[in-house]
Amino acid sequence: MINTLTIALMIAGLFFFLATTVGVLRFPDFYTRMHAAGKGDTLSSLLILVGLALYNLHLLSAGNILVTIKILFILMFIFLASPTATHAIIDAGYESGIKPWANENNREGQDDLAD
Amino acid sequence: MIWQIDIMILTLIVICGLFAISVKDLLGAAVVFGAYSFLMCLLWTEMGAVDVAFTEAAVGAGVSTVLFFAAVHRSSRQVKARVSGAMLYKGLGLLASGLMGGVLFYASTDFPDWADPASPASSHLSPHFITQTIAETSVPNIVTSVLADYRGFDTMFETAVVLTAGLAVLIILRLGGCRTAGPIREKNAAIQAAYKDSIIRFVTRMVVPFMQLFALYVVAHGHHSPGGGFQGGVILGASFILLAISYDLKMALNRINEKAALLLANTGVLIYGGIGFLCLLLGANFLDYSILHRILPATDEIAARSHAMLGVEIGVALTVMVIVMIIYNNIVSNGSYEKGL
Amino acid sequence: MELLLAKYNYWIYALIMMIGLYGMLAKNNLIKKIIGMGIFQTGIIVFYVSTGAKRGGTIPIIEHGHGEEVHEVIKALDYVNPLPHVLMLTAIVVSVGTLGVALAIALRIYTEYNTLHEDEILERVND
Repeated sequence: MINTLTIALMIAGLFFFLATTVGVLRFPDFYTRMHAAGKGDTLSSLLILVGLALYNLHLLSAGNILVTIKILFILMFIFLASPTATHAIIDAGYESGIKPWANENNREGQDDLAD
Repeated sequence: MIWQIDIMILTLIVICGLFAISVKDLLGAAVVFGAYSFLMCLLWTEMGAVDVAFTEAAVGAGVSTVLFFAAVHRSSRQVKARVSGAMLYKGLGLLASGLMGGVLFYASTDFPDWADPASPASSHLSPHFITQTIAETSVPNIVTSVLADYRGFDTMFETAVVLTAGLAVLIILRLGGCRTAGPIREKNAAIQAAYKDSIIRFVTRMVVPFMQLFALYVVAHGHHSPGGGFQGGVILGASFILLAISYDLKMALNRINEKAALLLANTGVLIYGGIGFLCLLLGANFLDYSILHRILPATDEIAARSHAMLGVEIGVALTVMVIVMIIYNNIVSNGSYEKGL
Repeated sequence: MELLLAKYNYWIYALIMMIGLYGMLAKNNLIKKIIGMGIFQTGIIVFYVSTGAKRGGTIPIIEHGHGEEVHEVIKALDYVNPLPHVLMLTAIVVSVGTLGVALAIALRIYTEYNTLHEDEILERVND
């Protein structure tokens, strides 16, 4: 039972990681790429960590429960820090004058914007 | 030690290294170098060197990247090619690195096979450390016991080297009194404005106490899990750097000003040397902790070694924390303590 | 294949050191040179940690070492060699010290000569 749940959570996490990677590579400009990176990264790490925390409970003992609690702590801090870091990067990009992507017919020079 | 994962990580490391050297933008190069350090951290976890991985994650990937950012922020981020003689330098560089690489490749045939349990490095001294650490020091983490006890003399001077590096940064940037901060380019000034943000400040305020608590846990629990004085000290220093980035430099300096910082740095080395000297006074060799059971209550010789290691780690943590702060504060403000990142 | 598996770690560390040395020698920008220095340092660390690896060994923390007595006999073959780890742990911490000093020198040069590029610095020194 725990095994099935773990596998499901891990596969979901890996799927979202893949989606994040595709998003970072395929989206046209800085803001949309950060959007993909921030959201997908947080969700997929959360899913994988929950999976690991569950997997660790297959043998119930004081030590294993302690490790699970530690993983849950990591999860909490990722949940706090990762969106904040994304916010900080996007804010810095906005302040330094990167223009959002606008015209879908004009695909030339989009890579320059993202840099 | 799964060689498929090993080869994958090593390939990525080489790619990241090449990019860090060749990217035309210094900020980008610093980011790629941070990624390189994280890959290194993965590689060491994979080889079983958890303490080294922990140190690399805190030092190499965390603090080094921030230091690069601070230096680039204070100078310029553009990279220009040489006006003349670029080919000559490239040729000479390729020649020298090719020669060195050739010699090293040639020498690699003489090395023992990778992960060979009978290799010379693993067959003389280290079996003693592995088998005797519980019996002699009651510390399960062998790296900690070797670091703070068996090779304590070495570690003491490493701490002194870290202290010296901090003092050298102070001397280089502050010689001739405080100067005003150099002009900041327009683009960098805009980046600076972004950090006056309430979301970031709120999250920082929430996270910093946990960071410091975790750092103390790492220092105190280094006997039983990966961690110890160096890692804990770097995390403590990083928490102050986080304060300095998300608020401003004054905020961090209000917590620990420069005078207190220098005092703490010296105290750390003094604690380490003092514990060693105490052993000398009690009639044993320098840093021979087992003699301390005479003055520590309710301990025998083995427990005394374990407790003295904790004291030594606290000294290391103090010095490393403060020196990391001093280096960051001085580089980011060019020695003036006026404006941070 | 046999040779590759036995030696690839040593080849990669030589490759990393080559990249670092090339960066230190050929690059024009001082901070690029410092990054090259960092890569060179990690190459050496890869070499040391590789010598400590052991087939079938686990991380160097004794299992069940918490309690009063250890039941099973500790075998050296079960744990990877901790000695290179200790040496490299301190080396990494010292490397952040050297990095700080190197960046401080680069910054000092920047305030004196207003450039981070080697050829321009040499030009302005000779003037």
